[in-house]
Amino acid sequence: MTLLSVKNLSIGYKTKKGLLKAVDNISFDLEKGLPLGFVGESGCGKTTIGMALMGLLPENAVILEGSIQFQGEDLVRLTEKQWRKVRGAKIAMIFQAAMNALNPVHRVDEQIKEAIITHQPDMSDADLSDRLNALFDLVDIPVARMKDYPHEYSGGMKQRVIIAMALACDPDLIIADEPTTALDVIVQDQILKEIRKVQQKIRTGLIFISHDIAVVASVCDRICVMYAGQIVETGTKKEVFTSPRHPYTLSLLGSYLSLDNLDDIVIPDMQEPPDLLSDIGSCRFADNCRVCSETCKKEEPGWVQISATHKAFCCEPQIIRGSHGKN
Amino acid sequence: MAKTDPKKNFLVEIKGVTKTYFPRKQFFARHQNKVLALNGIDLCIETGEIFGLVGQSGSGKTTTGRLLVRLEHPTAGHILFNKVPISGLKGPELKKFRSRAQMIFQDPYQSLNPHLSIAETVMEPLVVQKIGTPETRSEKVIHTLETVGLSPGKAFYNRYPHQLSGGQRQRVAIARAVVVEPEFIVADEPTSMLDATIAIQLFKLLREIKETFGMTFLFITHNLAAARYLCDRIAVIHEGHIVEINTAEKIIRNPEHPYTKKLIKVQPGFKYGR
Repeated sequence: MTLLSVKNLSIGYKTKKGLLKAVDNISFDLEKGLPLGFVGESGCGKTTIGMALMGLLPENAVILEGSIQFQGEDLVRLTEKQWRKVRGAKIAMIFQAAMNALNPVHRVDEQIKEAIITHQPDMSDADLSDRLNALFDLVDIPVARMKDYPHEYSGGMKQRVIIAMALACDPDLIIADEPTTALDVIVQDQILKEIRKVQQKIRTGLIFISHDIAVVASVCDRICVMYAGQIVETGTKKEVFTSPRHPYTLSLLGSYLSLDNLDDIVIPDMQEPPDLLSDIGSCRFADNCRVCSETCKKEEPGWVQISATHKAFCCEPQIIRGSHGKN
Repeated sequence: MAKTDPKKNFLVEIKGVTKTYFPRKQFFARHQNKVLALNGIDLCIETGEIFGLVGQSGSGKTTTGRLLVRLEHPTAGHILFNKVPISGLKGPELKKFRSRAQMIFQDPYQSLNPHLSIAETVMEPLVVQKIGTPETRSEKVIHTLETVGLSPGKAFYNRYPHQLSGGQRQRVAIARAVVVEPEFIVADEPTSMLDATIAIQLFKLLREIKETFGMTFLFITHNLAAARYLCDRIAVIHEGHIVEINTAEKIIRNPEHPYTKKLIKVQPGFKYGR
């Protein structure tokens, strides 16, 4: 069953220099209870998508076209009052900066309680305390630490609290935007395991956003690769990792340093992504692409279907279909 | 641990260095807090090598880097640079040392002064060190910008940091460090704020700089894969102690210390189904 269906979504930011199209004609579906990963470099629009799904776009942002269907409602059309019923209750977010996402002057349990009471004001004290215990248990924080202040927690524990807070109202969809970026590798590993465990246990839908492709891969079975405001490749984890098709995915994988792939590192010679203020009308990756042809500089790319779940956004279907390998 | 081999030429030697921080005392606190950031570390960096210092946050790796360029003083122990203790340097000698040991900081969004143009930023060390005349300086700046991959250098000369991307800013920070042709550069997580495709290009640049100028690097990171890619030797630091030093290959293939093993285990990779 489809939980979330985004169709032809375009989002722009009004800037002094004109309209900056941060997200351009993006469509994707998310099945109920499954994780979906978004990966791309900074400025590719992945956070803008997350914010749009939470109804938290900044004031200068405009949804230019498209729809976000979620449980029979089009989120694009919601008023702020209607958003309040969705945000936190049905769709919740795990934010990036765990250090800043908690209020330093309130006890940790109070902050989670607040999230629950806002949406379920009738809950009895006994139920509330059961719920809190269950949540702390779920994210592996000793219940004895519940009444502490945020500064008494380590970075990893704060991030766990943020996860507990997102889960507080049992949402159907969780958006995790770079949840481990500020943490070091050891804590990152723990938090990723936590997110994976919790997601599998309570079967919530998850949109996981990160610039780190290996981090996304450790949580999600389906991955969307983004470049300059567009999704350029989407497929299962196995498809994207073992037979990447879009030239950008290839350079992203080829340049990622991990302990197992040191021998076949390919150093890309990449320019900055194109300026999103102007209308591009051709492939955005053309200037950096190794297999770029004349068509790519003139025409908008189209989707090339490789398997039922795997497709890439490119002007050259033959090249994409033929395996042009890692080099 | 770090055995001093008389045959080898060490540019930097750290001998029994301890660094204790005393955080500001809370008004009602009875005791002064103490943070032992480094606990008697020994480390020698050979001339011309890229030496990696790997550890998690709070392990003391950044403190080590700051001590080596004398942004801070050790609480105990000695640091020798070219066999000379740096703690005794004063006046002109200290200034000379500053031109020989440079630092590249982690966050290029904060380490560049937004009010200074790229030219002013990169030229400043030359002015401070009184190297060259105004004409030769600007030539030198353009040349250095091109060396770090910002070409044509003239196109970047009069721009300001906010007009550059993260990767370009970090290249400016590298140019600022390289422009005085130092012997030693401390690079403190220079790519942790950048995307993978940009990071790898910066690693390539650091290697090129090492080859061209024959500089010695201390590369500080929490990413073992990056350290292995870039470094000749790696030291693993944990809670203010060096727990293991070896060649990069040996650290990864045959880690001895349990902490090193743990670090290797948690490195993200692509082995799906991990």
